Amino acid sequence: MNSTLKRIVAMLLALCMMGAMLASCDNSNEGEDTTASDGTGTSTGDETDDPSANVVQFDSDATYTYNTYTSSLSPNWNVHDYEDSTASDTFEYLIDGFYQFAFNDELHPMDDETRESYDGYVIIPSMAVGDPVDVTEEVKAEHPEWFPEDAESGYAYAITLRDDLYFDTGYHITAETYVTSAQYLLDPDLQNYRSTDVYSGSYGIVGAKAYFMQGSVDYIDNGEEGIQISDMVAGDDGQYTYTGVLAGADNAEVEGAKVYIAVGYALDTWLSGYTLQDYVESYGDAYFGLDTWDELLALVDENGLVPATDYNLTLLSGVTTTNANWGETDDDLYNYLVIAYEWEDDVDFSTVGIYALDEYTIVEVFGASVSGFTLYYNALQDSLILIEPDVYESCIAVDESGTTYSSYMTSVETSPSYGPYSMTEYQTDKMIHYSQNPYWYGWNDYENQVYVDPEDGLTYHTYMTTDIDIQVVTESTTAKQMFLSGELITYSMQTDDYDEYGFSEYLYASPSAVIYFLLLTGDMSGLQAREAASDFDTTKYDLETITVTSFRKAMAVAFDRQAFCDEAAPAQTPGLGIISDTNIYDADTAAFYRDSEPAMQALCDFYGVDVSEFDSLEDAVATITGYDVEQAKELFTAAYEEALELGYITDEDGDGMSDQEIVMQYASTATTDTLTKRIEWMNSTLATATEGTPFEGKISIEIKADYSGSEWAYALKDGSADICLCGWSGSALDPYSLMQAYTWPSYSYAANWYDTTTDMLTLTIDGTEITMSVYNWVEAMNGVSSADEDGNMWNFGEGQTSQENRLIILAGVEGKLLQTYTYIPFTTAGSKFLLSQKVYYVVEEYNPIMGRGGIMYLKYNYSDEEWDAYVAEQGGTLQY
Amino acid sequence: MLKYALQRIAYMILVFFIITLMCFVLIRMLPLPALAPNDPHAEIISIRREAMGYNKPYLVQFGIFLKNIFTNFDWGYSEQLYTGRLVTEVFAEKLPATMIVNLYSIIWTIPVGITLGIVAALKKNTWVDYTISTLTMVVISVPSFVYAFLVQYFFCYKLSWFPFVMKSGTDYFSWDMFVSMVPAILSLGFSVVAGFCRTTRAELTEVLTSDFMLLARTKGLTKFQATVRHAMRNCFVVILPGIFGEFIGILGGSLIIEQIFSIPGVGALTLNAINARDYNLFMLSTCFYTAIGLAAGLVVDISYGFIDPRIRVGSKK
Repeated sequence: MNSTLKRIVAMLLALCMMGAMLASCDNSNEGEDTTASDGTGTSTGDETDDPSANVVQFDSDATYTYNTYTSSLSPNWNVHDYEDSTASDTFEYLIDGFYQFAFNDELHPMDDETRESYDGYVIIPSMAVGDPVDVTEEVKAEHPEWFPEDAESGYAYAITLRDDLYFDTGYHITAETYVTSAQYLLDPDLQNYRSTDVYSGSYGIVGAKAYFMQGSVDYIDNGEEGIQISDMVAGDDGQYTYTGVLAGADNAEVEGAKVYIAVGYALDTWLSGYTLQDYVESYGDAYFGLDTWDELLALVDENGLVPATDYNLTLLSGVTTTNANWGETDDDLYNYLVIAYEWEDDVDFSTVGIYALDEYTIVEVFGASVSGFTLYYNALQDSLILIEPDVYESCIAVDESGTTYSSYMTSVETSPSYGPYSMTEYQTDKMIHYSQNPYWYGWNDYENQVYVDPEDGLTYHTYMTTDIDIQVVTESTTAKQMFLSGELITYSMQTDDYDEYGFSEYLYASPSAVIYFLLLTGDMSGLQAREAASDFDTTKYDLETITVTSFRKAMAVAFDRQAFCDEAAPAQTPGLGIISDTNIYDADTAAFYRDSEPAMQALCDFYGVDVSEFDSLEDAVATITGYDVEQAKELFTAAYEEALELGYITDEDGDGMSDQEIVMQYASTATTDTLTKRIEWMNSTLATATEGTPFEGKISIEIKADYSGSEWAYALKDGSADICLCGWSGSALDPYSLMQAYTWPSYSYAANWYDTTTDMLTLTIDGTEITMSVYNWVEAMNGVSSADEDGNMWNFGEGQTSQENRLIILAGVEGKLLQTYTYIPFTTAGSKFLLSQKVYYVVEEYNPIMGRGGIMYLKYNYSDEEWDAYVAEQGGTLQY
Repeated sequence: MLKYALQRIAYMILVFFIITLMCFVLIRMLPLPALAPNDPHAEIISIRREAMGYNKPYLVQFGIFLKNIFTNFDWGYSEQLYTGRLVTEVFAEKLPATMIVNLYSIIWTIPVGITLGIVAALKKNTWVDYTISTLTMVVISVPSFVYAFLVQYFFCYKLSWFPFVMKSGTDYFSWDMFVSMVPAILSLGFSVVAGFCRTTRAELTEVLTSDFMLLARTKGLTKFQATVRHAMRNCFVVILPGIFGEFIGILGGSLIIEQIFSIPGVGALTLNAINARDYNLFMLSTCFYTAIGLAAGLVVDISYGFIDPRIRVGSKK
């Protein structure tokens, strides 16, 4: 009996060992074990070779569902032709990239050792193994046609993929999958909208555009090419032609390419993607000369083009240069031209700079040299979305008109995932449900898909969330009740909620890169034209005083921005500069612009803070609120005296008070409750700021809400309206190009009264004092060679000079623009939301790149089951 | 009777045609939504607009519209909301949710409304009648979306009896789905109950005082028997057509209710189509509601003949 028992035990042990061996041999992608959780988790902590040994294991039986809501769902998320973020939000969990952003922690430290954990971000491999390898020389030896002659490095990179990548259909991902995906995207028959993601811009893949456009005629936007009319030659028929290199045609050499005037053809560079016809038909003689318009329009062909001849250019000039409000000269005419380029036919995909070097190594060749952060961010992000070939082929069809189309990623069945989650349910206009993708490599990745929790110091796996459920809820009251009942993880705060939840510990603010400034018009001719109108009583009202500098300075310090945010714009925070707190000036180091010395000095200079009175620049900046009612009173008094002297206002009765009221018209498209509340707040504040001054009770703002579209902006530009709270949006990582919104005449609100091409700015760069116009400084720091006052050319673009130098220029330009008192910084845009007690963020501080970690880092206090019990325990309604 | 019915159907088709033409012309007179620069669908949308006859005279456009419907049942493609999808396909996908919610709503409102009306009539000028009549007036005066918020607040939020929004999926006849639809069904039904109650009470009150009711009682019928066999039958001449009429009324009311309870139905679709200027979708839903309204009217008219043999218009004497 004893020996029998021993045999049984031995056999059982042997079976167990065999089972263990089989399990270890299993190249399973079904990593469910790594994804489960128990809320608090337990660390195994054994000193073994098992990479998961030091990672907290979650309860495998529990589910952690991220329940959220949206006001609308995209009916189509086809990765080849999606247009907006609603669509890309739908597939964001289904895809992955070569590399990913992660918080810096002990496992993934930043190069800058002074940075504390979770103070920045790092870029770490995701689907790739290791860093990209520069193979420019090797590839150039085989394919010299892909490279400029002087190319030595930075053009071609080899990226090695992990060998455990799969779609959730079980399809194995190799380097060839990338190549095939690129071929599908660039398919000339399908003309996919998102193909531009791969072929356009400096970091496009070489040869991609030629393959995509093969056999077609392309009209290259000359605004982007920058070819002057003087560099073109008129042919026998009078039409201009161009011979030379066209960057927009993959740097092809063209000979005698015909040039056209784009009248009904969209111009991306000069007209922001609209046509001249759109503008003329929208704004008519308010901005354009219409004497030659009809004649020009009559010449338009089916493509919206008119042959560029001297006569036709004269017609164009009659439209764009004869009205001062449009403000262009003949020197700008080249921006309205396009150059016809005929792409070669029968192009083979082997001419495209993307190929598989071996089973897991892919080579990409870019149109420009790229390295560092830009390489990871622009070139190697997930712009090339992988396609599951078997599913894709089954989705290709031809409609009744003979057009080939694809239904890939338009339903659950046609949406294969290679990201952390799979789409498991979708109902149009109702909901989407995602569940963990068991094939995702990340569940077994204990190198990059792990992080150290800053609170408990333990190591956790990313993506604790097991399911994501998105419901369409259009009514905010419904969403609020669902949130309070524990059915939603977040709730976006509405204005009425701030009284109740404004101080909740569960309230989070997410700032944005958008600064709202109070824009005061400075177009004197426009203001005078309004004053000259028959219904304007100049004995009672005045507008010209708005242009007086003291008046504008007074307006800048008259408003308590914090009070404005508290009382009229709860989701916003005070803004002091025209560049937001979230802007990063050096993406490699994640350094915030506003924390830099030049940026802080620019603020101190603008607000008149004497830095020498403080221990540090930081202390000096900390005192700035932008609000000084006493100074405002002094400035309003000074403005009164100045305006009196200039004859803008009068004081007939000699009581020391202005006879005229200044009623500023606030330009808007609609009168909303929110806007009304804000204007009431401003008027109340102005009443306080003018109390005891000659303008007491004489300055106010009224809403003028009869503008449609972007007419309000034009009204401010030409003095038809006086004031507005508006702003510019841009990438948090690129404050440099944002400055072009203030200097390019086509964008600048102040173009009519502030000429950035003549306003000079002197800065010291690398010990050299350089004086250039503001316009040229901005161009130079954006990589365009620009001349200083002595004619010397400078280029301070990325890679051309140090980021510190670019920072100095950026701060110098910001300071200069602030001094115009056209853009009075007011608030920083943002959103606020309540976060459920079910979850928590590992980091409280908002990071412009990482946010607070998103789904990747989200931690759960309760599993779904525990949460239901907890909510029931609280009586069904939670307190926040 | 058959002739009458055929006549009414012919009239209905004529009226439908006229309303459709009016709607069509008015919609086509509206400015088309501009195609955004670089919109990948701009070219195909332009081609389809051309095929639909835009830039041609309205009557020619209407002819093309009718031809497409009669030959292919082609109501066009969605341009804004569901780019590239046939509007009939989108509409058909969403119709079941709307229909089922409305049917459930009708099912509970008819018996409740009529019962309350009968009680009020039988208890005329008592506190029961006053209470029911007052509540009826209050309920009938308030739009149904107000009840939606109240129902959601009390039954879903405070009492946690029902989910806040309709359950996802297409298992319309499952218990879970029914429970999730209850708040919407209740919200849609309150004013209908009040309507039936008021009509029933008014009719029954009048009938109960008729001579033939006195005769019925003197024949030896109990009050219950007399009411059910004689009074109610007379009342139904008015009530039954009202049931059909209410159906279209509820469909109208569900436009807002669907938004509040996240019901993926044609009501919300219609609102979205209007907001997004998706004219093909809007045209289809307009025609749908018109057709429902006309059909309801037709059924009402024809039903008179069945309910009351004295009303047989067009029949030979």
